[in-house]
Amino acid sequence: MNKLYHNSFYAMGTRCHIVLPGVEEDLCEHLFAVIKDEVNRVESSLSRFLSHSEISVINKKAAKEPVTVSEEIYGILETCREYSEMTHGAFDVSLRPLLQYWKEKNDNSTSDLRLYEIMDAIGMKQIELGNGDRSVSFVNDRVEIDLGGFGKGYALEHIQKKLMDFSVRNAFISFGESSILTMGSHPAGDHWKVGLNDYSQPGRALHTFAVNDGAVSTSSNFFVDDSGELRNHRHVINPFTGYPVEECITVSVRSDSSIVAEVLSTAFLVTRDETIALIKEQAEPCEVVKVNYVGGEPEITVY
Amino acid sequence: MQINRRKFIELTSTLAGSTVVASAMPWLSAFNNPAAASANPSDRVRIGFIGLGGRGKALLRNVQDFADRLNVDIAAVCDNYDPHYQEAIELTGGEVPAFYDYRRMLDEVELDGVVIATPLKVHMEPTIDAMSRGVHVFCEKAMERTLDRVKRMYDAHLEHDKILLIGHQRLFSPVYLTAIEEIRRGDIGPVTMINGNWHRNTDWIFYDAEPGSALDRQLNWRLYRETSAGMLTELLSHHLQVANWVKDAQPVSVTGSGSINFWKDHREVWDNFSLVFKYADGTHFKYSCLQSNAHNGMQIQALGNKGMMDLEVNKRYWEDPPAPPAIRQMIHNIESNLFDTIPIGGATWVPAEPVAYGGEFISDDWEMNETQLYLEAFVDFIRKGEAPEKLTLEGYNASTWTLLAEDATYSDRHQTLPEQYLV
Repeated sequence: MNKLYHNSFYAMGTRCHIVLPGVEEDLCEHLFAVIKDEVNRVESSLSRFLSHSEISVINKKAAKEPVTVSEEIYGILETCREYSEMTHGAFDVSLRPLLQYWKEKNDNSTSDLRLYEIMDAIGMKQIELGNGDRSVSFVNDRVEIDLGGFGKGYALEHIQKKLMDFSVRNAFISFGESSILTMGSHPAGDHWKVGLNDYSQPGRALHTFAVNDGAVSTSSNFFVDDSGELRNHRHVINPFTGYPVEECITVSVRSDSSIVAEVLSTAFLVTRDETIALIKEQAEPCEVVKVNYVGGEPEITVY
Repeated sequence: MQINRRKFIELTSTLAGSTVVASAMPWLSAFNNPAAASANPSDRVRIGFIGLGGRGKALLRNVQDFADRLNVDIAAVCDNYDPHYQEAIELTGGEVPAFYDYRRMLDEVELDGVVIATPLKVHMEPTIDAMSRGVHVFCEKAMERTLDRVKRMYDAHLEHDKILLIGHQRLFSPVYLTAIEEIRRGDIGPVTMINGNWHRNTDWIFYDAEPGSALDRQLNWRLYRETSAGMLTELLSHHLQVANWVKDAQPVSVTGSGSINFWKDHREVWDNFSLVFKYADGTHFKYSCLQSNAHNGMQIQALGNKGMMDLEVNKRYWEDPPAPPAIRQMIHNIESNLFDTIPIGGATWVPAEPVAYGGEFISDDWEMNETQLYLEAFVDFIRKGEAPEKLTLEGYNASTWTLLAEDATYSDRHQTLPEQYLV
């Protein structure tokens, strides 16, 4: 039997599973503590659910006055702006007011006029980053930053750095099975096989990503209800139309960078096919698989 | 039934290795260290039955099941309602003396123990009369209709040095015994809340009789305040005993409210109520009963910071649940040197998953007949001449606090235990 360490902890709204083959147990326990501390540190800084996080402070104050932020948060926001440009606006950390609009929408109580007002008021262009003084300000008080489509990829990148610091060669890290980082290879192979789950036949792989040092991130806009039916949770809003994405879609992206995988899997849920191909070229090397469940059956597109 | 008992003894042997048995479930000695009993007539335990309605007949059948094996003589039966009296004769093949008056039964038949399953308000007299004649008592729950009568039963047990057991059968349930051991061991962390409910959708009328008539009051006694506190004494008392057992304490106060909001017929007892019991460490036991919707059924849950025991459905859930299937499969494959694709990438495993994940069974042996196990223990304790006092107190504390809960719902004030009832 192969020497194998595995453990998990709760963070970022899901569970993080650490699988470390072939590493001494004492070191694994130490590594687990290091990883957990690091993820908690990242979460305590990035989460909008924690009232004292830097992001929460920005959300509270940046519409009134410029907020000076840490180098790390400033760097993250700059990165998010770059990815927003790269994805032609599909990746956008300022869409929360739109999500909130749809959450609260009652056909009788709101109008499309309000939707358009919200769309005008949000977008990365409404987040101003100061030059040199690491200040962040919002153009209006409707703006709110939500790093939900970025945080796990960012955390995985930090986990990867920690593991490299300790010269760990082989590892498999999973945030809730949707954001996966691999290092090295499976003990019985020369890479890791990451299957893409088929929701019409759970347990069957629709596609297999062969990964060495890299990440696979999957985004979707549905859940499987108690009767096994796919149900759109309408939490994915198309920033170009302002409306929720109605089809049941998953987008999986393999990339050397866990951040790229995370960002693109989020952005490609609302991106047209020809634009996906275009963006993918810029982001190489990466592999993109989109699954559209039409009538419950998967239609697969590999880019 | 032999298999049933053997499995239970296996469980009690396992539990015997635990340090909590002596403090939390000393009555398992009836199975781990039973009294020696031969098949000789001199070793025979003679049991009489008082009250042979639905529950009484069930208790009789249970004893019949093990009578030969444990050398028990069903020595007499008694009920003052003729149909039940006749059924008792039928059930015992006409070979057992039958009585309408329990006093005559106690006077005329040599008994070692009686099983009492009369209506609630008719528990005290037969209990005290039996014990004063040197007969041990197993009495259905709850103990009695008022605190004074409950206390008098308990005092008689001390005064006559006779066994008094109250029929809270969960005390012998493999699920509850296993769960209590795990809770005491700290597996789910300190228990910080207990939730329970018993919801039904029924009129609760057992017998056809002219509403309000003397016969109705005799047979459907559960509906009248003079003879019953309704679902408080009949249902809550079971789960209150469990809550006390889980907390290893009795409450310090109870508050609550009740009403009749659906069955607006001749009944006098609540058809719904909600209660909050408080324990000294600040834990609350939240409980409700309802007779107009059965969706939530019967449940009692002990919640700790590490996990939750959902006792009536034999499930435990961890706050830190096991890895999802794909991760487990990957771990298995690595350990087995298999290099297969694991379908893993997918929608985020949502935070609600700890609730959605199916939990684990607390005990494999949950289908056992715990009432019968309790009655077997009663026979063993009769042979030994004593039973663990903690077992009697489980019944006493559940009964007193059930009646205090009733007081709370009628007074709209929180209630505490008056000092004279503290034992």
